[in-house]
Amino acid sequence: MIDVLASRGYFLVGFLLMGIGTYMLIGSDNLVKKVIGMNVFQTGIFLFFVTSAFVSGASPPLLSASPPYVSPLPHVLILTAIVVGVSLTAVALALVVRIYEAYGTLDEDTIREVRLND
Amino acid sequence: MTDAIALLVAVPIVFALFPIAFGGRWEHMGWGTAALGALVHLGLSLTVAATVLSGGRFTYAVGGYTPPFGIELVGDGVSAVLVVLTSLVTVAVVAYARRAGPHSNTFYSELLVLTAGISGVFVTGDVFNLYVFIEITGLATYALVATGRGPAAALASLKYLLVGTVGASLYLLGVGYLYVATGTLNMADLASQLSSVGYGSPLVLTGFGLIVVGLAVKAALFPLHTWQPGAYAESPDSVTAYISALVSTAAAYALFRIIYAVFTPAFDAAVPFALDALVILASVSVVVGSVLAVLQSDLKRMLAYSSVAQFGLIVAGFAIANATAVTGGLVHLIGHAVMKAGLFVGVGALAGVAGGRTVDDFAGLAERAPLVSAAFAVLAFALVGVPPAIGFAGKWHIVLGAVEGGRWGVALVAVVSTLLTLAYFARVVERMYFRDAPAPAEESVAAAADGGDAELASDGGSDGDGDASGAASDAGAEPETISMTARIIVVGAAVAAVGVGLVATDLIAVFEPVLEVYF
Amino acid sequence: MSEIASLRPLAAVLLPALGILAIVASQRRPNIREGFTILTALATFGTVASLVPSALSGATHVSRLGTFVPGIELTLRADPLGMIFALLASALWLVTSFYSIGYMRGLDEHSQTRYFAAFAGSVGAALGVAFASNLVALYIFYELLTVATYPLVAHDESEKARAAGRKYLTYTFGGGVAVLAGTVLLFWTTGTVAFTPGGIAALATADPVIARAAFALLAGGFGVKAALIPVHSWLPDAMVAPTPVSGLLHAVAVVKSGVFGIARVVLDVFGPETVADLGVGLPLAAVAAVTILVSSVIALRQDNLKRRLAYSTISQLSYIVLGLGLLSPAALIGGLLHIPAHAFMKLTLFFCAGAIHVETHTDDISEMAGIGKRMPLTMAAFGVASVGMAGLPLVAGFVSKWYLLIGSLDNGTAIFALVLLTSGLLNIGYFWPIVYQAFFQTAEDSDAKPLVEFPIGGARVRTDGGERAEDRDDDAEEAAGEPEAAEAAAGAGDVPIDTAEPVDPEIDPDVTPSEEEGDVEIDARIESEGQYAVDRNPSDHLQEDAPGAVDGESDGERDDEDEASLSDAGSDGHADVHGGPSGWERRGFGEESTWFMLGPITVAAAGAVALGLLPRGMVFLALVQRVVAEATGVVF
Repeated sequence: MIDVLASRGYFLVGFLLMGIGTYMLIGSDNLVKKVIGMNVFQTGIFLFFVTSAFVSGASPPLLSASPPYVSPLPHVLILTAIVVGVSLTAVALALVVRIYEAYGTLDEDTIREVRLND
Repeated sequence: MTDAIALLVAVPIVFALFPIAFGGRWEHMGWGTAALGALVHLGLSLTVAATVLSGGRFTYAVGGYTPPFGIELVGDGVSAVLVVLTSLVTVAVVAYARRAGPHSNTFYSELLVLTAGISGVFVTGDVFNLYVFIEITGLATYALVATGRGPAAALASLKYLLVGTVGASLYLLGVGYLYVATGTLNMADLASQLSSVGYGSPLVLTGFGLIVVGLAVKAALFPLHTWQPGAYAESPDSVTAYISALVSTAAAYALFRIIYAVFTPAFDAAVPFALDALVILASVSVVVGSVLAVLQSDLKRMLAYSSVAQFGLIVAGFAIANATAVTGGLVHLIGHAVMKAGLFVGVGALAGVAGGRTVDDFAGLAERAPLVSAAFAVLAFALVGVPPAIGFAGKWHIVLGAVEGGRWGVALVAVVSTLLTLAYFARVVERMYFRDAPAPAEESVAAAADGGDAELASDGGSDGDGDASGAASDAGAEPETISMTARIIVVGAAVAAVGVGLVATDLIAVFEPVLEVYF
Repeated sequence: MSEIASLRPLAAVLLPALGILAIVASQRRPNIREGFTILTALATFGTVASLVPSALSGATHVSRLGTFVPGIELTLRADPLGMIFALLASALWLVTSFYSIGYMRGLDEHSQTRYFAAFAGSVGAALGVAFASNLVALYIFYELLTVATYPLVAHDESEKARAAGRKYLTYTFGGGVAVLAGTVLLFWTTGTVAFTPGGIAALATADPVIARAAFALLAGGFGVKAALIPVHSWLPDAMVAPTPVSGLLHAVAVVKSGVFGIARVVLDVFGPETVADLGVGLPLAAVAAVTILVSSVIALRQDNLKRRLAYSTISQLSYIVLGLGLLSPAALIGGLLHIPAHAFMKLTLFFCAGAIHVETHTDDISEMAGIGKRMPLTMAAFGVASVGMAGLPLVAGFVSKWYLLIGSLDNGTAIFALVLLTSGLLNIGYFWPIVYQAFFQTAEDSDAKPLVEFPIGGARVRTDGGERAEDRDDDAEEAAGEPEAAEAAAGAGDVPIDTAEPVDPEIDPDVTPSEEEGDVEIDARIESEGQYAVDRNPSDHLQEDAPGAVDGESDGERDDEDEASLSDAGSDGHADVHGGPSGWERRGFGEESTWFMLGPITVAAAGAVALGLLPRGMVFLALVQRVVAEATGVVF
């Protein structure tokens, strides 16, 4: 068990973050917190990727360093994914602003009640 | 010109920049840019299709970097047809949105971005690239859904965003697993690498599971469909037509490619449980979607649940893993796109005349809008599966494939889905034709209700329409009449549904080379 | 059997489709629109008729329309079996078109354009069913037929019509689903679904379980439209449609397409030998026999004329299915010949019902006493057709029944012969009273109709010691009439008031049949049902409060009756003396309605007689014999 934690600890942290993010998405009532949860979830995934790129005993992927190199491809992929995540967050927050302006609250339950009474 | 395939993605994005950049100066350039962009896109997609038809499958290395290091775009029978479909739907929706849709410049930009994203999904040959394009599609869709009236649209969009992002992230995680297992992201390369890694390895299986769940969220299969009814119902009519035709289609197509280009039928042979589970999930989706659709009174919601059911059928076709069923799935994919787009434009147009969007509001509509009602009825019966429309061709192959594969449950579900679809469409058609309108309208002569021949509607309906709108304005009951564009689109969709159904064998012939490679 | 590539089968299917366009285009000019209907019907009939000689000689015309789904061609072939149905549908469409004009105009119906266009579409789809050369093509046109006939069923747009339309759609699409499932099974097992006379060869060696399952699905699916029990209940409800629809579609096109489908399955898909080997012929015949008997019994209890005709249709259709299930050559001939025979007879009956509805707004048999005076030609034709339905010689039904009887005896299954004979008796039981009371009775001396009134299972006991001690019998003796005063008044009073629904034979045992009460009930009935002919022609005896005791024998004369065969012994002569409760005015032969309706009635009745007298000459028997020869190898 311990050596699993030791060798794959980073992966576990990634999954832990995914779990936290999912809980926030589902469990919290505040819309902004849901967006934050979505971000945490995605961060977990990014960490997973980045961790998978690591090669123990390897050097950074620079021409001046000697092989073996840590794989740079996942880093590149995750840069793209981070950008996607940022845009998603931006859109989500814009929607949250609009919802707040309409309903005056960010609480999901209150909004649901207001909509039912409409 | 093989560069056309890359331009398919690039051109709409470039065109999308103009309304944003210059929108301050010229107020109404949005529509013009979008129209021009759609037409250019149509030309490009036809070029790609011509190349595929004459030369067969071709690949294009983006930026000159050879795969598997670079990103590869693939044009074959399936992707060419789907890209042409994208262009046609874009042209139709842009034309429809001129009168109906949101008129802001940003709307048209978003629409073009969406076109680019969807084209990208259809042509890419790299799994991570697919993620990027799925996310581009998603972003544009979230923004488009939010252009609807009122905060309900924003709420629906937010829900879609949150659920969709989780789905796309799961897909990304699955891609990550596959990357860890094989070290490559190119679809063709993955296929060979995965077989050497071994299909039974936990990495590969988990990767498959995550990818399928992620794409199922995007394709709105039960129970991951919860975002769809709200998103379809709250968005503007033009948007609904577009996203119902293409967005879930893109996700289902991605599923098709993943199952067959990446995992190949050898995977199904090695681990039959994986696709079996997908078949069961899809079959449940068919039944639940249809049942939920029957319970709806809002027409757009009803059509949204209908999509859940239809995509269940399509994915079931893909998951049965023999050539016949997959052919059926592809044919139904295309047919459903055409029919659903036509139905949503029809609902939008008819709702304007009826003054509401519920089933009861549509009572007696056939007298006031005979042409569009007739086309709507044709599309409805086509989706039910009345031959010779394309809905039948897809279903026939799926059922045949299910029987060939020994999957009697799916065959039963597919056959029974006809009755379920009839259940929710017959209500609407009956209300339109066989009930009186709530407000007393002149008894204008009604066009034929017979659904088999759409040409009749375009011939006989023009007088009737003039009468209907004349009657409407005389009675003063409805302020809106149906734009000529909307009529053309709905009737065109009806004609296409029947026409493509008649030439379904030619369509299948286009798919055949692709499927031969896989099977 | 050689094939000629030709456009004529395609033309036969497309002409009605073109007709739809023409009808819709001319919607604002009713006369031109009706003219287009007639023209299209004529052209279609001509095309189909031109295909008969070659079908008889073995050179079939084929229109190939390309491949529909891989492995299955969309081809229209004018082979003998298809010709039977096609000839029938197109000929009777022509006749019905004239009738429709008279009917729709007589009632000043709404949505006539939709009606005529949907009619044309339905006949076109029926012709497609007839000429389809494989199960998939047949399925296509079968579903199109459903879609095209739905607007006709729900034509009235009333709540009842809509409910009937929904029921119709549900049942027929359900049947279509079963057909599709069976077709898929078949295609998977044998690789082909094309119609091959004598059956698809591969089926003989296929797995029997699958073959039986496919047969059950196909027969069941087609059986919905063929109104086999227990999936028959859409048919009586569909009678809410206008009468020409009930006539052509629900007695000729739609139900015959169901029976035709079963015929194709038995003869051209499985083949008589395989069906016998699989052992599925006998269950089919058994279901048919049950349908024949049960629906005849139900028909006895119907007061609404069209509903009675509907149950009669259900019963007669199963004659055809019985013939197909018995499998011997004679039975097959009988079954197939009954397709046109029944069509002509039933169409005549429905036309008569419709004419009665248009001219007098009477729908219920209990109100039709003495109507022969008002509508002599109509009721005469009705009588002729009824004779045929019972299987008596000289009219079409006799020939087919004869073959069926021989066929069931050939097979060694004499019980079916017994079923056929019983059914003949039941037919007499439910048709003869209508004819008899029309000519030989008036309302107050008519017996209660429908005949079967007592609670089945026992005589009712009258607690008062009963003046009306006798129960109603359910055979033809009753119809001889017992025109006694007290009974007559009580009889009239016993007729259930609510006659719009199928009769519920509940009789209130407390009613003491005094004449006063009888009169009171008659009055109450008239007040509550103002729309009936009784109201528009209030009778003398009601106003005078006469006891209605006049015997039926008073005036034996009939001014215009010149039909010796049906001249009465005299009990309907009330015309001028006190008119009877429904004071039918006397009309001359041919003056009772427009010739738009009378012409078709005459033609249909004449057709039924002609089929009975010259079956070979009327082409149908020759076609049937050819079909059976090809399917079984036996020339009968």
